[in-house]
Amino acid sequence: MKPAPFKYVAAETVEEAVAALGEHGDEAKVLAGGQSLVPLMNLRLATPGVLVDVNRIAELSGVRANGNLEIGAVTRQAAIERSAEARAAAPLVVEALRHVAHPPIRSRGTIGGTVAHADPAAEIPAVLLALGGEVVARGPGGERTIPADELFQGYFTTALQPDELLTSVRFPAQGPGARTALQEVARKQADFALAGAVVAANVGDDGTCESARIVLFGVADRPLRAPGAEEAVTSRSLADVAVLADAAQSAAAGIDPTGDAHASAEYRKEVAGVLVRRALTTVAEGGVQA
Amino acid sequence: MATTETNAPYVGRPIPRVEDARLLRGLGTFVDDIQRPGLLHAAFVRSPFGHARITSIDASRARELDGVALVLTAEDIEDLAPIATGLPREEVVANNRPVLPPETVRFVGEAVACVIASSRYVAEDAAQLVDVEYEPLPAVIDAERSLAEGAALLHDGTESNSFAHIEYEQGDVEAAFAAADHVFRKRFHHGRFHAAPLEGRALLAEWDPGAQEMTIWMSTQIPHLVRTLLCHAIGLSEKQLRVIAPDVGGGFGLKLHLWPEDYLVSAASKRLNRPVKWVEDRSEALAASLHAKEIICDLELATKADGTFVAMRGRYVGDAGAYAAYPFTPLVDALCAAVMLPNVYDVQAVRFEVDAAFTNKCPAGAYRGVGWTSGQTARELLVDEAARELGIDPMELRLQNTIPDGEPYVSGTGCKYDGGSYGAAQRKAMELIDYAAFRGRQEEARAQGRHLGIGFSPFLEPGGWSGELAKRMGFPFDYMDSARVTIEPDGSVVVAMGLHSHGQAHQTTMAQVVADKLSVPIESVKIIQGDTAQTAYGAGTFGSRGAVIGYGSISRAAEEVAEKVKQIAGLALEAAPEDIELKDGNAIVRGAPEKAMPMMMVGFTAYFGAFVGGKRPPGIDPVLTSTRSYDPPETYANGCVAAVVDVDVETGAVIVEKVVIVDDCGTILNPMVVDGQLVGAAAQGVGGALYEELRYDEDGNFLAGNLLDYLYPSTLEIPPIEVGHLQTPSPVTDGGVKGCGEGGTIATPAAVVNAVADALSPLGVTIARTPLDPSHVLSLIREARG
Amino acid sequence: MSVQDRLVEGEIVVRLTVNGEERRGIAEPRLLLVDFLRHELGLTGTHVGCEQGVCGACSIRLDGELVRSCLLFAVQAEGSSIETVEGLAPGEDLHPIQQAYHEQHGLQCGFCTPGLLLATVDLLERNTSPSEQEIRDYLAGNICRCTGYVGVVAAVQEAARKLEAGGS
Repeated sequence: MKPAPFKYVAAETVEEAVAALGEHGDEAKVLAGGQSLVPLMNLRLATPGVLVDVNRIAELSGVRANGNLEIGAVTRQAAIERSAEARAAAPLVVEALRHVAHPPIRSRGTIGGTVAHADPAAEIPAVLLALGGEVVARGPGGERTIPADELFQGYFTTALQPDELLTSVRFPAQGPGARTALQEVARKQADFALAGAVVAANVGDDGTCESARIVLFGVADRPLRAPGAEEAVTSRSLADVAVLADAAQSAAAGIDPTGDAHASAEYRKEVAGVLVRRALTTVAEGGVQA
Repeated sequence: MATTETNAPYVGRPIPRVEDARLLRGLGTFVDDIQRPGLLHAAFVRSPFGHARITSIDASRARELDGVALVLTAEDIEDLAPIATGLPREEVVANNRPVLPPETVRFVGEAVACVIASSRYVAEDAAQLVDVEYEPLPAVIDAERSLAEGAALLHDGTESNSFAHIEYEQGDVEAAFAAADHVFRKRFHHGRFHAAPLEGRALLAEWDPGAQEMTIWMSTQIPHLVRTLLCHAIGLSEKQLRVIAPDVGGGFGLKLHLWPEDYLVSAASKRLNRPVKWVEDRSEALAASLHAKEIICDLELATKADGTFVAMRGRYVGDAGAYAAYPFTPLVDALCAAVMLPNVYDVQAVRFEVDAAFTNKCPAGAYRGVGWTSGQTARELLVDEAARELGIDPMELRLQNTIPDGEPYVSGTGCKYDGGSYGAAQRKAMELIDYAAFRGRQEEARAQGRHLGIGFSPFLEPGGWSGELAKRMGFPFDYMDSARVTIEPDGSVVVAMGLHSHGQAHQTTMAQVVADKLSVPIESVKIIQGDTAQTAYGAGTFGSRGAVIGYGSISRAAEEVAEKVKQIAGLALEAAPEDIELKDGNAIVRGAPEKAMPMMMVGFTAYFGAFVGGKRPPGIDPVLTSTRSYDPPETYANGCVAAVVDVDVETGAVIVEKVVIVDDCGTILNPMVVDGQLVGAAAQGVGGALYEELRYDEDGNFLAGNLLDYLYPSTLEIPPIEVGHLQTPSPVTDGGVKGCGEGGTIATPAAVVNAVADALSPLGVTIARTPLDPSHVLSLIREARG
Repeated sequence: MSVQDRLVEGEIVVRLTVNGEERRGIAEPRLLLVDFLRHELGLTGTHVGCEQGVCGACSIRLDGELVRSCLLFAVQAEGSSIETVEGLAPGEDLHPIQQAYHEQHGLQCGFCTPGLLLATVDLLERNTSPSEQEIRDYLAGNICRCTGYVGVVAAVQEAARKLEAGGS
């Protein structure tokens, strides 16, 4: 299919982009990587009247690891994958990107785009939530920071306002005891997950889990923390299979997924638990390496 | 790759493809690459409902849009009669498909209006402006419920929703079942798949009002049949229509059909006196082109106590979709499946019943392997289950019941197998996949909590799709396939044939055949295909027929031309024609090779005689061209596929570790091409077993309308595939060629599914459908757990 | 000019470099880059298979990166440098990658082939001697329905050997 007609403007600065979004309101959409938006436009499921192209805004591109990992919103996923800095600061982000579609999608797709698109089955939003990250957005009223816990509000919905532009995505740097893992099941290896689990834990030298953030994706309208599972592992040894089984069961019990053409609700519920257990096992064995 | 023992310079050798250079350079010509002056573009308004009455349709807003040349709805096309699909057999009730439905839409995606505009973009804008009001009706989406008493009839003037009810029996089947020691039963619902060629449907119709002739470029496998079937429908005689199939981006059987879109685009060109192009997009392809292979099979196998098969019964209900696919009909699924019920097994008491039931889905027709795939999967699963119950190794049970190698055999459904490596192929597959070591590996893996499985699928591949074979499969038709071989004055050899390659390298393989026959260098040969104005009539390329038909027709024509060459050369070299041989581009006197006449001299002598100082032999027509046809007898390739899988019983995910395909297609023209066909077909089989599904919900809504829902297998889903060869030349076809192309799709799903069943059998799981997606596999495991 | 003044509604001229040559064409904002290349510039080697970014038939390289030209608008490509399949072969001879596909039977109908060739160019530039798994990972975004990928993988391995032997 071919897209419906629209007007197009290439912004050169953040101010221009914000001004254009403000000017056109609901009619306007940000065009970053386009890897999620343009397929929808080609199917005429999205028909924005105005596209504000932000790809030429230089300040929105770049990986900066200074304590935390701060990535410009329009930084290409492929560039992050190739960044030694990013891998050293937050290896889980690089690992998660390997699950995102294919190399040519990642060569255009942006980190800001995938966060703002908020597909509930996507890996990066779940990783942002698991690592306790945040985003920076700029609007007509100025700049604000939105923590991951408050960012994802529903199917393809974030706390971003229509006239706000996401400018950067921040991941806290992994400390010395930090260990992470991501497990997912997809129909095809590079597809959206039927269900997925991310674990970001702090593990002591004796193998005790001091704290953990456990996030499930693909099982609800947004990535979800699994508080029952987190509690099941806190202050416990991850080498204990009973602890892991407990966490898996709590994770599954705490969600109420829907079924669709790809997987039933029971499937997602059962497999979410399995994936939590497997992610915790990976963490017990050392987690994602830089 | 097979190594053929051959002395011939070309046939049997892996000659690299002549078609590659232009395709690699991006200089191929596919329909959408063609530009014509004044070109307009078509788009269609399509039904969002599976079953509904059209209460009103108003195209006025669309017609007013700038750039729109024409909008057609049902009331605008009274000159386009419904497409009538039938077969000359009494069980078939002909089905009519309106070119645009005046009252009722019967599947999601059915075209209800056609827009012609200055660009595809504008045509789609206009399509959105056509106002259609629908009154939804209940949808029928289950083939068995469609046949049940009291089911709503989907077509006016019919007595049932079955396109045809066909029964067959040989031997006293009931008695055999009654006397049997064991009866094994299996119900299997084969999934609905899509051939999904990467290039979808496409045509460009150009009416020339001056010459009163139309040219249609179409992405089709059957240019001559398209010409014959389409011309009168649009008010033309056959001589007024030229159909050209340029480069075709895959067909796999889908492009053996004609659709309302083809009629509308051609008719629009004639009305507007402008060329009109339509290129199907992926959503249209998935929803509204052609589906395939969905059959509900109920099979029964009767055996003696020692496992000897004594009788088989099969009931096949094909899900035909909303209309009978034109022209091959939905019977290519259920009827073909039924006719191959006995496979390679020695069973002479066979009964089958077939129905092709209409439902509110996209029409279903031919896709590589047709219904043989579905029947194969159901039957081989049943054989494995029988083996497990009998406590016999499944391959031992198969080999025990397989017909002897090498001898012709008439099957329990009357098929005349021409002798093959029926048992040897199975043993070779077992060897290549290292079956002997597998059970040990499987046990070790189970001890570690991993579930490996192995599955086998010995198969037959009916080849040649000739008149005789078609009738055996239940389709009373003869086909005319011919080839014209011509030697030009300069000695170049040109072959114009009715076959048309859509990936099978006819331009190379057929050149190999004629180059050997006339003993000329292959560089001096040109193959013309696909253009009805340039080629001899043919039914086209499908049904594993290319090699068989091509070899036969080209050989016969070439032999006639060779006779002329020998007579001309004989006169020039002062020898009897019987003593003339063709060798390396020359005509030579046998035993005196210094007496040689190059082909170019033969050509000039034939065409221009005295002008070049040559003499034409008296009393013969020196024309160096011949058109001959070939309609072979039934012939059957055979083989065996084996697959090893690793099933993750916690997530239901199935990884295919390895696939082996052993094939015996008789004489091989080009082993490289054959390997490519086997592997490509096997990959489609893996896709069908695990990933691909055209799903509908209860209301007839279509759930596979894009490529995130209909899953093409990629390099990560298809494992390494190993090929093994055996060669039992056919005793009944020219050159012993049996044909190749469908074996992988016929047999691979069964091997993969059997492997999964083998992996999960300790858990008490039985498999009754495809595809085996993770959600389904896990639900089977959960159910078996209780 | 303010950002409001730069709003494009109708057709504009787009200038870019394609296979080393400066080209220009007309595009309205919604014209997909693949359609611009095929119909405005006449470079029909790049194909359309899905318009969703899944099948890879439209793969080209833009500013040295492998991209889906069905997910880009022509107007976005202003000033960029594009490589399509037509630019691969240096002259009469085939590029070593094309030659490898030919020798290893890495194509049948040819529809997916241009996209695969560009993906192969990109892969071998980044990884001169990829393992089979690396090849399969990189090419998973290019669907082929004909070959079952065995010939494709063999072609890429052969291409890697050829490029290492002869230099790129």
